[in-house]
Amino acid sequence: MLEAGICNYVVISYGHSGLWGGGMRQLLFSTRASEAAFGHFGAVGRYALAARRGMHEFSRGPETWKHIAMGQRKWANLNPAAIMHHKPMSEEDYFNAPLVVEPFRLFDSCQMNDGGRAIIVTTAERAKDLKQPPVLLMGMGLANPSNEIGQAQYMAGPTGAKPAGKTALDMAGIGLEDIDACQIYDCFTYTVEVTLQDYGFFGHGEGHDWLQGGTIEPGGRMPVNTSGGQLSEAYFMGLTPIAESVMQLMGRCGQRQLGPRTQTKEPQIILCSDNGGTLQSHACLIFRRG
Amino acid sequence: MGLKDKYAVVGVGYTPQGKVADRTSLSFHLEAVSNAISDAGLKKEDIDGLIAYRHFPPCPGEPDLTPQLLAQHLGMTPAYMYQDAN
Repeated sequence: MLEAGICNYVVISYGHSGLWGGGMRQLLFSTRASEAAFGHFGAVGRYALAARRGMHEFSRGPETWKHIAMGQRKWANLNPAAIMHHKPMSEEDYFNAPLVVEPFRLFDSCQMNDGGRAIIVTTAERAKDLKQPPVLLMGMGLANPSNEIGQAQYMAGPTGAKPAGKTALDMAGIGLEDIDACQIYDCFTYTVEVTLQDYGFFGHGEGHDWLQGGTIEPGGRMPVNTSGGQLSEAYFMGLTPIAESVMQLMGRCGQRQLGPRTQTKEPQIILCSDNGGTLQSHACLIFRRG
Repeated sequence: MGLKDKYAVVGVGYTPQGKVADRTSLSFHLEAVSNAISDAGLKKEDIDGLIAYRHFPPCPGEPDLTPQLLAQHLGMTPAYMYQDAN
């Protein structure tokens, strides 16, 4: 629409009374009888099914996911707007949390929350005259093998992240070595593991090793989900990772700002993901400082 | 070929988040859009495209939040509206 000149400024918005208004609980009731017959309710069950298969094929499960949950929580502890801002998480806290649907514990799941998020998109030319430093879209890749896991042709990947990531990197004309940080759609910890794996940040089954030593945390070599993400900041579908990519590249992130303040690389390029339909539909976006 | 460096994000709108009582989903949309517009230094009249991000089933007692409904409440008549699929 921007390309065709039909629109000059497009707003993209999300709003949901997911917690107080009971919105997220509605997911429990959208289950078909054929799934419910097997005790398979809601999004947690669907992702747990995929994660269990992932554990069979390549993942060490909670031993890997604890690094994602705890790493993102450290970022949330630096973000006053994050729901879990005042709540540090130890390894003990992670393992002591109740199982929701095996193999997921409570802290493997994203937040259920009320709230909204919106962004404005325009042309690079118009962006030059506006108030904020522009953040440019360098690359985009979409891959939608299915829109629900019941119709999937695979269970443990590679997910749509693999082709979508390649398309986005090719469009941007860069490689993974040029990425300074990632904002990954993180409805569950496992989603982050399989998405980073499918993008190629590490080899099949090497996520556990890659995450050692605080890779994704403040001070780490590849910061991931620096607002706390959906696990520890708040859930606004793809607008949680997109908004954080943009704010980091604008340099507006206060205490959690990438760069000297968090002993990380000053970000020029951030890779961002969204996925839906239980690891089926996938979008990869690459942003750069304008 | 491609979108490289042709488009930019120029504003972000936040709202209160967490457990926020007595608010409708619509009210969060309206606040987020309004904050994003002022963050970008734009006016409501400048906005001519409205996309509602993919979304979950509506909350109990709430209507499905289509971009048409959002536009009515925002007092906008965008040239283009779209609702993302899940």
